[in-house]
Amino acid sequence: MKIRPESFRFHEYVLFATVTLVTLILCICIGSVNIPVKETIRVIWRAISGLSMAESKAVPILLSVRLPRVLCVGLVGASLSLCGGAMQGLLKNPLADGSTLGVSSGAALGAVVAIAFGLTIPAFPFAGTMTMAMLFAFVSLTVILALAYRLDASLATHTIILIGITYSMFVSSIMTLVITFAGEKVKHITFWMMGSLQGSSYANALVLLSALLLFGGVILRHSRELNAFAIGEDNARAIGVNVKRVRLIVLICVSALIGVCVSIGGTIGFIGLVTPHMVRMIVGPNHRRLLPATMMGGATFLMLADLVARVLLNPLELPIGVVTSFIGSIMFISIFYSSRKVK
Amino acid sequence: MKQLKQLKQLKHAGIPAILMALIMLLTAISGCSKANDGAATTIKSKTAVTVTDMTGRKIILDGPAARVVALTPSDCEILYAIGAGGTIVGRGEYCDYPAEVMNVPSVQSGANTNIEQIIALKPQILLMSTMAQTDEQVAALEKAGIKVVVSDAQDVAGVYTAIELIGTLMGRQQEAAALTESMKNTFKTLSAKVKGDGTKTVYFEVSPLQYELWTAGSGTFMNEIAGMLKLSNIFGDVSAWGKITEEQVIERDPDYIVTIAMYFGEGPKPEEEILSRTGWKNITAVKNGDILNLQNNELSRPGPRLADGANMLYEFVYGETGN
Amino acid sequence: MLTVENLTVRYGDLTIVDRVSFTVEAGEWLMIVGPNGAGKTTVIHAIAQSAPYTGSVRFAERDIRHCRPRELARNIGVLAQNHYMGYAFTVEEVVRLGRYAYTPRFLWGSADTESDKIQLALKKTGMEPFLKHSVLTLSGGELQRTFLAQLFAQDPRLLLLDEPTNHLDLIYQKQTFEPIREWLKETGRAVISVVHDLSLARAYGTHALLMDRGQITAMGKTAEVMSPKNLNKVYDMDVYGWMRDIYSRWESEQDHQTGKI
Repeated sequence: MKIRPESFRFHEYVLFATVTLVTLILCICIGSVNIPVKETIRVIWRAISGLSMAESKAVPILLSVRLPRVLCVGLVGASLSLCGGAMQGLLKNPLADGSTLGVSSGAALGAVVAIAFGLTIPAFPFAGTMTMAMLFAFVSLTVILALAYRLDASLATHTIILIGITYSMFVSSIMTLVITFAGEKVKHITFWMMGSLQGSSYANALVLLSALLLFGGVILRHSRELNAFAIGEDNARAIGVNVKRVRLIVLICVSALIGVCVSIGGTIGFIGLVTPHMVRMIVGPNHRRLLPATMMGGATFLMLADLVARVLLNPLELPIGVVTSFIGSIMFISIFYSSRKVK
Repeated sequence: MKQLKQLKQLKHAGIPAILMALIMLLTAISGCSKANDGAATTIKSKTAVTVTDMTGRKIILDGPAARVVALTPSDCEILYAIGAGGTIVGRGEYCDYPAEVMNVPSVQSGANTNIEQIIALKPQILLMSTMAQTDEQVAALEKAGIKVVVSDAQDVAGVYTAIELIGTLMGRQQEAAALTESMKNTFKTLSAKVKGDGTKTVYFEVSPLQYELWTAGSGTFMNEIAGMLKLSNIFGDVSAWGKITEEQVIERDPDYIVTIAMYFGEGPKPEEEILSRTGWKNITAVKNGDILNLQNNELSRPGPRLADGANMLYEFVYGETGN
Repeated sequence: MLTVENLTVRYGDLTIVDRVSFTVEAGEWLMIVGPNGAGKTTVIHAIAQSAPYTGSVRFAERDIRHCRPRELARNIGVLAQNHYMGYAFTVEEVVRLGRYAYTPRFLWGSADTESDKIQLALKKTGMEPFLKHSVLTLSGGELQRTFLAQLFAQDPRLLLLDEPTNHLDLIYQKQTFEPIREWLKETGRAVISVVHDLSLARAYGTHALLMDRGQITAMGKTAEVMSPKNLNKVYDMDVYGWMRDIYSRWESEQDHQTGKI
């Protein structure tokens, strides 16, 4: 048998990218308001080529509402799934995810604290919540891991998930406390907690894209190290991985990405759990294939979930978190059962 | 033979039991009749009050209530409007109108209603909206001597009923009737003055884009009052309150936008924020700047100020004072 | 090659390894033997830098505390006792990770020269037919050989083995130890292993180190260290007598059988 390079070959990249792109186009063409495909293509084409357009309702609906939203949803899906995949490798635990470990809740608390106490950075209106969300995500992750290490150094068991869930409850009680003390203004935040990508702008998409390129890029660069962690931390150390440094770098990148996603889209549960699991069944556990495929798969999955949320009860809209949590919790149970069976 | 004997024994055992039951029943009836006698006597003294609340429960009071805890903001407003504001000894935490009510001790309301807090205030009656409480909690309140009265207005007619109910409870039937009359007059005048033909549309924004768009559909006070003013609600197909898609607002292109978003004194005001939304520029209401911000729940509470809200909406749409 | 001086490992008040000093030269296979709780495995962990210790461990006259992880991996390799696999990696992927210390940090896709090394490592351990197999489907012995292949791909100068054939079938003991003996034949290589099985230690070791309660009891050539006197003292029983008794039973049975035929 011949040994082949472990990363994706060109045509595999093309295949995954095509699926993502087709989904993107589908999600732009379908929406709460029915716009003929021909009209959609005309509007997008004219916008890209900078031609002037006749005043019609299709133009703002497509260019100002649907397109930025679909882009944001895709980017959030890609980022959260990448984070899930990276954490599942790093901790050698297929149930690890921003939502199961309580990192998303931590990030949300950071955002709430920023809103409640009016922490802003002049000239960058959303930088205050974003920075706090990132910071709280990192602190949460550190706390959860430190607690888990004390109980079980291998981190491979379900202990860490229990700690994560307990931590989420703890954080939500603090959050309720902050909201109660901060008064009227913050009470509205409860709406946003379920995850809202309504009103997404191109600026949001740009921030998400930059974060994904920067932090996601760093995570992808550590694919081989993540492979080693996924086989075992001791083995990673034995083959020459700088275990402490790699762990720190990956955790920082994961926290930062989750922080950015939560401050823009709220906490969207389970996406980081579902995608890597499904993708792993297709491409295997090797992170050099898993992570790029997970990013594209996550974008596809969340865009489709958002599509369901937008059109199912038209003109009403479902919270996107409802759709992802519905699929995610079923998946969680199935992973839990199958991982128990192995032992 | 043996069976017969047993039967006889059973009969013997049965007779005293039936007797006991009869005696108990009799005492129970006599107890009841005694209570009824009491009620009858108070009616004779012309102060007794009997009302049926809006869930059909019968409430009998010895006299007009002097100590009231009101959990819903609209009930507070009604109490003040009929001049019974002084009887309020406790208010639900969201009750904020009129300003004097803020001096009254507040109790938790809604899902977190605190029975102990209410009992400690020693009210005669507790006014609240739909039965948020369990039967056990209501029983506990009744045991503590507090009558629970439910007002649950779903439409403008329901508000009249609530006003009448509360008026009767407080012994202020005349004031209540006057209030109802003035509201009816306001609505009548407005409906008569309206020149619209029902083609103009309105969009009610309950929650702004930042916190997800929520609107008021059919079966809400906003929808009913829009109908009185011959405006059609663009989300009339949504029942009650609902989260709606941004695309549909642009597609349905309302002539007027009414937002009830709160303004907290920083950042753009709600109407400015709507004007600044990308993609909304071509909506008729945004183009014409026809956005009304009702800050103080004039149209969202089933209380006497619905008339004020209707006036404000009329003035906003038709550009002249209503009443 | 490797110099260990005053190596001490403490967990709280408990001293697991007490001022252990020894050296290993190229071509040597040092067997660390001793009863349970003697601190054998801890010595291996300390040298591999995965347990905190005091004292010094020098490789080629350099304190390995100051080595970068990759540099350390190029010189010292470790084979663990057990491997708990969670994800369905293939044998090839596990073995490929052995080359981690040689591939530059920022390289996408791996060079073809690496493939030869991986292929060779698989060949040496007899794991070639399992190339595309998932590690979750392997038996304990196959899994151990997969990691041995990873170790060969890592190509260190010193191998540290921590009871690698514990709880494995006899055939796997042979399949694990024979490739290591072959590996050791090349110049500039050495092996340190902890073994429980005294006969294995005797058969493969060039040198031995007898430990008891954290301290060294004897060290030197295998035959000298594993003398009846030493072993009997440490294990508190007549080790040689017991061994002779076992093997004589095998032999007498065989005689009996051949006699019959």
